Amino acid sequence: MSAQPRTPATRGIAFDVGSAAAEFARGAWELYSVFARTLYFIAKGKREKGATAAQMYAIGNKSLAFMTITMGFIGMIMVYQAGLQTQRILPDFTLLGATFLELLVRDLAASIGALMLATRVGAGIAAEIGSMVVTEQIDALRMCAADPIDFLVKPRFLASLVMTTALIVWAGAVAFAAGGATAYFAFDVPWRTFANLQLVDAGDLITGLTKCVAYGGAIPIISAYCGLSTFGGSEGVGWATTRAVVSSSLAIIALNFFISAAALVVFPK
Amino acid sequence: MTTTQPAARATKLFAAAGASFLSAAETAGGMGVLFGRVLVRMFPPRVDRGELRRNLYKMSVKSVPIVIVTALFTGAIMVIQAAPIVKRLGAEGLVGWAAGFGTLREIAPLLTALMISGRVGANNTAELGTMVVTDQIDALRALAIDPISFLVLPRFISITITLLVMTIYADALALFGATYASRALIGVEPQAFVHGLTGGLLGFGDVANGLLKSVVFGLVIALASCHFGLSTTGGAPGVGKSVNATVVASAAGIFVLDYFVSFLLG
Repeated sequence: MSAQPRTPATRGIAFDVGSAAAEFARGAWELYSVFARTLYFIAKGKREKGATAAQMYAIGNKSLAFMTITMGFIGMIMVYQAGLQTQRILPDFTLLGATFLELLVRDLAASIGALMLATRVGAGIAAEIGSMVVTEQIDALRMCAADPIDFLVKPRFLASLVMTTALIVWAGAVAFAAGGATAYFAFDVPWRTFANLQLVDAGDLITGLTKCVAYGGAIPIISAYCGLSTFGGSEGVGWATTRAVVSSSLAIIALNFFISAAALVVFPK
Repeated sequence: MTTTQPAARATKLFAAAGASFLSAAETAGGMGVLFGRVLVRMFPPRVDRGELRRNLYKMSVKSVPIVIVTALFTGAIMVIQAAPIVKRLGAEGLVGWAAGFGTLREIAPLLTALMISGRVGANNTAELGTMVVTDQIDALRALAIDPISFLVLPRFISITITLLVMTIYADALALFGATYASRALIGVEPQAFVHGLTGGLLGFGDVANGLLKSVVFGLVIALASCHFGLSTTGGAPGVGKSVNATVVASAAGIFVLDYFVSFLLG
């Protein structure tokens, strides 16, 4: 290279790609660090009475109505579309309910439910922690010798692990009931034919529950990381919230792909 | 709490139900009024060209990476989920059709809308909300610039166009991802997959169905994000709350309208 001083105009594409990669690697490392510290404080941290329960209420109970409505509609839409799809090939609806239930247990309940939770819970966590950062409450916590990870992230993580699983089980039940009603009214499938458990096996159940735990852990960690890295006033809080929703959703879609592919290998049909 | 009489508890329940109903009605009314104001300025269109171009760039071009990632993974997941069903029927030539049907009609528009709602809708609320809490909207009014035609209308048009274009893009990418995922994961050759897609069981109607949905979703995201952005109060925490309200309202609106549009189109 010549000794010419580099100006922004001559940086070129290699600079852009390199700085994006470095940025990504730094983000991934910090995310991992938040996760590792959360696990550390679960084992070693101070126990604050009622903090996890309060978060469970905020994450779980307050999301119940939202989850019920969205997953009810998802159940109706999916059965309606699947019914239309079946109608075009062979009008035989006897396995509609069984197939839907299998799909719901293995994938849809966990993945769509977690996408909903990522928008509600993820945005909530990032907005709350981000506001605390810009109003310097996090620094105040540090001054009081309370680690923000121990005090803020740990209860949210534990609460989300439990409540995501609970909400997804509930959401799956709602979606199945709504689907059964749609099958009855749109395609005249009786409830007894629809509620057919024969296709659900242990592999499906294990896959679904693995997804619940993975998503339940990923959402609070990613959102808390986005919240903690907020800077710059009210616009920063908005940015952090946006980033939390987008990153959690992308993480869910990527995790879904890897867990589903692994399940295809481990539990072949 | 311990000494609450049953009657008082019932009153509290009714009060809570009434309050949440009132707030839902207020939101719906606010969105309706905003939609009316936007429509009035749409005919004839009085829109700031520079602002429209800036927003289109910021919303569409900058969303391309997340749409690529989402669509490729979604296509692959559709194949993984369709595989056992297709194998059970012993019709592996149909995997293209099975994955394509779900992708084009439902999953691609839905997931694209959720991602765009998270990225664009939330960002839009944050931007408008920040303008509100720093009194920039009042400054616009003081300069006799109409905030609706200067700020809201360009965003409205941009979000709707963004979602339509991104859904077309996501349809193509998801099918591409599905084609190669089916070869890698269940051993269906790309030719067989594409034959399943184009063999006559899928028509333009299925694509149009998905695209029409994406326009409806775009309107929902635009309305929710502009409404909650403009009704922000209370500094930085207020902006966070508005963004949260936007993503929740958009997601709920997307699912509810998805059902009605699916049912109406049949």
